[in-house]
Amino acid sequence: MSAFRAVLAKDLRTELRTLESVPAMALFAATTFVLFRFGLDRTTLEGALAAGVLLATVLFAAILAINRVFVAEREQGGFDVIRLSPVDGASLYAAKVCVLAIYLGALELIAVPVFAVLFSVEAGGLPALAAMLLLANIGLAAVGALVSSIAVNSRARDLIAPLLLLPLLVPVMIAAAGAAEPLLAAGGPSYADFGQWMGILALYDLVFIAVGYAVYDFLLED
Amino acid sequence: MPALPLDEAGKYVAGAYVAFLALLLLYVAIMAARIQRIDRELAELAEIAEKRSDRPAAGPDGADAGAEENARGEAEGQVFEAGAEQPSGGIR
Amino acid sequence: MSFNAPRILPAMTVLTLTAGLALVFFFAPNDADQGFIQKIFYLHVPIAICALVGFIVAAVQAIMHLRTGESSWDVRSYVSIHISVILGVAVLITGSIWARASWGKWFVWDEPTLVSFLIVFLLYCTYYPLRYAIEDRERQARYASVFAVTAGAFVPLNFIAVRLAETLVHPRVFATAEGGLTPKMTVTFLVCLAGMALLWLTLARFELAAKSTRARLGRLRRALEGDEVAVGASRIAPVPRQAEEAG
Repeated sequence: MSAFRAVLAKDLRTELRTLESVPAMALFAATTFVLFRFGLDRTTLEGALAAGVLLATVLFAAILAINRVFVAEREQGGFDVIRLSPVDGASLYAAKVCVLAIYLGALELIAVPVFAVLFSVEAGGLPALAAMLLLANIGLAAVGALVSSIAVNSRARDLIAPLLLLPLLVPVMIAAAGAAEPLLAAGGPSYADFGQWMGILALYDLVFIAVGYAVYDFLLED
Repeated sequence: MPALPLDEAGKYVAGAYVAFLALLLLYVAIMAARIQRIDRELAELAEIAEKRSDRPAAGPDGADAGAEENARGEAEGQVFEAGAEQPSGGIR
Repeated sequence: MSFNAPRILPAMTVLTLTAGLALVFFFAPNDADQGFIQKIFYLHVPIAICALVGFIVAAVQAIMHLRTGESSWDVRSYVSIHISVILGVAVLITGSIWARASWGKWFVWDEPTLVSFLIVFLLYCTYYPLRYAIEDRERQARYASVFAVTAGAFVPLNFIAVRLAETLVHPRVFATAEGGLTPKMTVTFLVCLAGMALLWLTLARFELAAKSTRARLGRLRRALEGDEVAVGASRIAPVPRQAEEAG
């Protein structure tokens, strides 16, 4: 438990001090919104289009964070420390999942209001949207930490991580977009299938956290 | 009795089965090329073995060179030979 | 496993596939909705099922590899994925032809199994660049196994998610894949399925035999010459570790 806390505290402290991940993600998201405005030639968004733009942007911003989440460990020998200590890999994994989830939450805290303002999005469904994003973040973080560990020890690591990540994240996209579309609809939010999509997200989160826990030690072996 | 496919549908069905067959034959061709390569290599090695048996003094040198081999491929044969004793159900 | 292993498996494969083919065109009745086009179903769906089961099998073999550390399991896992990806190409091609024949488009997003399969196929295609990107053989094998396990867990999830996404919006297109099969159709389908499963096993065995022969050749070459790597040795084809020679 203390290893988990130590890694988590260290990463959050570093991030607060250097501010290298979250502001970059937020800036990336904002610029991407502008690109979408011109790419789609639209100044307002609702429903499926709004869900798609928001979620695709969040997903790609997540890749930025996922690429970086283990870089410090790799460069400063953090992996060796974990290997030599009696701590099991699961603590490291859990800590990194939390770190990523927190980064994503911070990103969305900035990006979603910016999105709503830029595209005059219907705001009634935003609380439910936030809840859905919370679940989606966990899934993104669980898979992201796993893939990042695989990629960080390979050669073309910035290439391998997104390559592996995107197909794995399709169900998250499906469920999140499925939930978000009626929430952002022009005539006001609808909660018809919300429960079902949240269920899918929860299932996804459970499965990949379980998989991550099960295999992580094998990734740490030398 | 089968409906004789004189209409459009027949072409698509035939196309699908032909595509599958083509893929399978492509695989067979690639496998044939691999076997050819294996054959050639085997012939090469057989030649080398013949030459070796004509020069018995080369034995110990061969053993030393063998000891310095790349660890990467040393035991390949052993494990697969062990595997060969398993029934083909080992693929499961 | 060598190329000289008993021939019964390939023979059974040929027999079953031929029988299946005959049943498709001489026994199974034409579908009421789709007519003759439905015959593609007997080709497309069995291959898809075998490919997907193959991915799950690869995940199980990967688990065995992680648990025992024996690279023979890694070889099997690699071959399982390889064969399933090849069959996956066949699935996408036959599915595309089926879509074109039924709907005039070369791909339909309305058919959840086709879409799910595309996603799974894309995922497993990344298996190869992943292996290429890791140079240390042992680590490569371990990471590949981790990937195979993760991807194996992903397959059922993906199918559930895509199915839900599609059925909420569109009705099922290729409904004959589910129910509505007459007994004659069911028999034909099962025979084709058995044939494809045997084909998968046969191809897997060929691959394993090819690898084992190449490995033995490499060892022979090293014993004779002492240095060079065998011609055309692949950087990503799994190679057993030295330590297993004793085990």
